[in-house]
Amino acid sequence: MSLDHAATPSHQSALSRYRLLWSQTPQSFRIGLVILLAHLIVAVTGPFWAPYGFSQMGTGIPLSGASWGHPFGVDQLGRDVFSRVVHGSHIVILLSLSGTALGLVVGAVLGLLSGYLGGWFDNLLQRFLEALISIPFLVLALIAIASAGPELSGNPILVVLVVALVYAPRIARMARAAAMDIATRDYVTVARLRGESAWSVMRRELLPNATGVLLVEFALRAGYAPVLVGSLGFLGFGLRPPTPEWGLMISENRALIIITPITVLGPGLALASLVVGLNLFTEGLARILGRTVRLGAQ
Amino acid sequence: MPILRLVAGRILLSIVTLLIVSLIIFGVLEVLPGDVASRILGRDATPEALGQLRDRLGLNDPAPVRYLHWLGGLLSGDFGQSLVSSRPVTEILAPRIYNTVLLSAYAFLLYLPLTILPALVQAIRRDRPVDHGLSIVTLVLLSMPDFLLATILLFTFVVLVPILPAISLVDHSSSAMDYLRAMTLPALTLAIVMAVYAVRMLRDNLIEVLDSDYVRMAELKGLSASRVLLRHALPNALVPTLNVTALNLAYLVGGVVVVEKVFSYPGFGSLLVDSLQLRDLPVIEATVMIAALVYVGANLIADIAAVLLNPRLRTA
Repeated sequence: MSLDHAATPSHQSALSRYRLLWSQTPQSFRIGLVILLAHLIVAVTGPFWAPYGFSQMGTGIPLSGASWGHPFGVDQLGRDVFSRVVHGSHIVILLSLSGTALGLVVGAVLGLLSGYLGGWFDNLLQRFLEALISIPFLVLALIAIASAGPELSGNPILVVLVVALVYAPRIARMARAAAMDIATRDYVTVARLRGESAWSVMRRELLPNATGVLLVEFALRAGYAPVLVGSLGFLGFGLRPPTPEWGLMISENRALIIITPITVLGPGLALASLVVGLNLFTEGLARILGRTVRLGAQ
Repeated sequence: MPILRLVAGRILLSIVTLLIVSLIIFGVLEVLPGDVASRILGRDATPEALGQLRDRLGLNDPAPVRYLHWLGGLLSGDFGQSLVSSRPVTEILAPRIYNTVLLSAYAFLLYLPLTILPALVQAIRRDRPVDHGLSIVTLVLLSMPDFLLATILLFTFVVLVPILPAISLVDHSSSAMDYLRAMTLPALTLAIVMAVYAVRMLRDNLIEVLDSDYVRMAELKGLSASRVLLRHALPNALVPTLNVTALNLAYLVGGVVVVEKVFSYPGFGSLLVDSLQLRDLPVIEATVMIAALVYVGANLIADIAAVLLNPRLRTA
């Protein structure tokens, strides 16, 4: 399905044009967008209306289950889990998006240049990126954190850098394939014959023509970034308590799942619904851009 | 023989990749972060203790010498000694790898029916409620972090329907039955995570094949529906899934890290997490190298299988 064919007669109002455009988008895109918007609204406004603070203790009877006052129950320190999930929303989304964005910038620049230039630069870079990809992504993330040393552990910036480190090589691989394809086009040859530098060819010819690939790639990676951030938190290599990061919360409340399963299921539901939304959005976006995408962390 | 040359080329590239992996790991863990000895012993270490440790680790040699020494050790099967327990790393690794191989084999056994059955049901009942329902289920499972899936399975089979143990502690003295019980939940988690990718792909492939002329032909010949599906359609639809299965093997290397940790299963993945927490460098380096080796090997097999199954790729 393509939006280019949207009939837009001049007598239609702007509103009905948008409505038409909207009705032509794939269903997965619409559902995904609604879920994403809900998450974004909670992330931005949440801290203002969350019933309790994220580290506020004594909000209720510790380890009590779901109730109207505490939809996700109360954890062993007497903190309201729902409030913690709401406060954690912007942390998870911010870390995931900024990490993926950084990975996209680095990966796109490296991949496009590498695909365009070819030669020894491409060869060398490909071997290096291939090596980074062949370390399973969670293992790569863990050794990167371990090598950063104890002073930096728990630092949100480290988590962002690690997400970027994991994704940049994978994004670079896609960008390189796109650049190799675009580089055969006449307009690139013309630009090269004009004497433009590789950097300028990349910025003015390759990048605009690879936007579709990169956009889908960004959405796909962003969809798994919350899982990566959560996995790091869960294993104790991500953010530090009492940060209300969802993976960390699941790990903290897991020991008492027998008494209050809702304190684990609550943050789990938040995390899974965010990723479902991102995945649906990605699949729909790919279809709008005329691409196919295979969802999955690999 | 062009195929042999192609295969030899791929193998050579894989070896180069692994060499670079070893450089990265060594560089990241031993050269970049400054003095390894003070990082192991902490800030309060006495100068004498630091000196002793440096001697023991051979840290007074220049980095390239240490790298070659380490690499030579790896190639001859000597992974060094654990800094924590002073035991040879191979001795620590061997039982862990054994446990993880068992776990992976079990996971693969569960993975096959978990992939084929839902995909068959979806393909037969295409665009019916069952198909849509299963599509939603696979999408949700696809989006669920493995540690969450593991935790939910744990809750279901340990608390709600208490038939399986919560903690999968086993050692060499455990009986086969103990092993089986201990491994069921972690294996099921891994199998589900791997299956959801394959189910979505196999469903699409099956539908494509069921629409093809030769399947129509088989139906028109009057063959029974089940025979057409299982003998004619399924084998062809499975071929593209082989690639996913090889990639799933690669996933398994990273997946075991989280899943083994959740169930306290004493395998390779939980060893990596534990040694990272203890900063036991030789053990970390060995486990990461083995993880990369399996990953590269799985991809190599997937590549070669793709070439063998699809003659058009041979000229590439």
